[in-house]
Amino acid sequence: MLRQFLSRTFSRSLPCSISQFSNRAISSEAVAETTIETRPTVRKPDEVARGQLTDFGKYVAECLPKYIQTIQITAGDELELLIVPEGVVPVLQFLKDHHNAQFANLVDIGGMDVPSRHNRFEIIYNILSLRYNSRIRVKTYTDELTPIESCNEVFKAANWYEREIWDMYGVFFSNHPDLRRILTDYGFEGHPFRKDFPLSGYVEVRYDDEKKRVVVEPLELAQEFRKFELSAPWEQFPNFRNANPAAEEVVPEKK
Amino acid sequence: MASAAIRRGAREVKPILSLDLDESRKRVLNLYKAWFRQLPYIVKQYDIPMNIEQCRSVLRQQFTNMIAYQDVRLMDMMVIKSQMELKEIVNMWKQKGHVMAYFAKDTVEPKPKDFLSKFLSGKD
Repeated sequence: MLRQFLSRTFSRSLPCSISQFSNRAISSEAVAETTIETRPTVRKPDEVARGQLTDFGKYVAECLPKYIQTIQITAGDELELLIVPEGVVPVLQFLKDHHNAQFANLVDIGGMDVPSRHNRFEIIYNILSLRYNSRIRVKTYTDELTPIESCNEVFKAANWYEREIWDMYGVFFSNHPDLRRILTDYGFEGHPFRKDFPLSGYVEVRYDDEKKRVVVEPLELAQEFRKFELSAPWEQFPNFRNANPAAEEVVPEKK
Repeated sequence: MASAAIRRGAREVKPILSLDLDESRKRVLNLYKAWFRQLPYIVKQYDIPMNIEQCRSVLRQQFTNMIAYQDVRLMDMMVIKSQMELKEIVNMWKQKGHVMAYFAKDTVEPKPKDFLSKFLSGKD
């Protein structure tokens, strides 16, 4: 009796671990929406993985409603969790330690700069579960002056990745054990991956024979910044006019 | 009414280090002191052709240039970056050229002003 009860509560509390999907039917909506792709040069999204990840995303959103804002599927079968900046450590800790997720590897931390947004930077955590052979992406946002909690306590691999983000974008990670530059030269000013940083930089460096040292000199830009019109007047990829959208939002069902 | 407008205008933000202007001001002063005390060692260890008075005036200049920025988080961010630079100097990660970059750019050739020198330098 007790064991029955335990197993029932256990299976109820963990309704969609990504491991349990091998014998479960693929969510019907996923199949109905997309027709079977037969063209040999077009990548075929994995429908099984897509169904599993969709359900897993819904389950995580149910577990952490405070932090997860949106769940979306990109490129057909890649799960993205969009979270608030305060939730970086709890969400990553959950995904790492949850028995049916086990995303124990931090593959990379990426950054993105969209200057027109209110929170211009996006920080993207790519994590991998070796146990279930699955990868997901956790995204959060910040601006120039808002610090993000360092996830070095959760993933030791985050140390250098966060230093890289700090160096390239200028996003400050609080509680990082050793936050300093990693790619740029000592004395370098600015953050090169920001969109408002010119491609040539602001200074140039050369060896001065008279001074017997390397000197830094301001750079004169060859021409003013120009706004190029890059879109063509004709349609460039008519075959992809009706292609799937880049990101499809997953809406958790209301109870 | 006015307070409501202020409340609407003011945005709640996450602090970097300091909670108010006094605290960030203290951090700036501490940073200035740390740099000031390090100057004799910088002159000696990096063997730069500058005396301590010149270093002090440059240091003061660097801080007074930023006096217009009175935002708590901006001050914190600049303090953090400057603290990192000081650490790079103290640990001898920087080299002589990096340290000399703080001083006046005496190697930059002045831009040509009149027609003939512009013509000779090959720029417009």
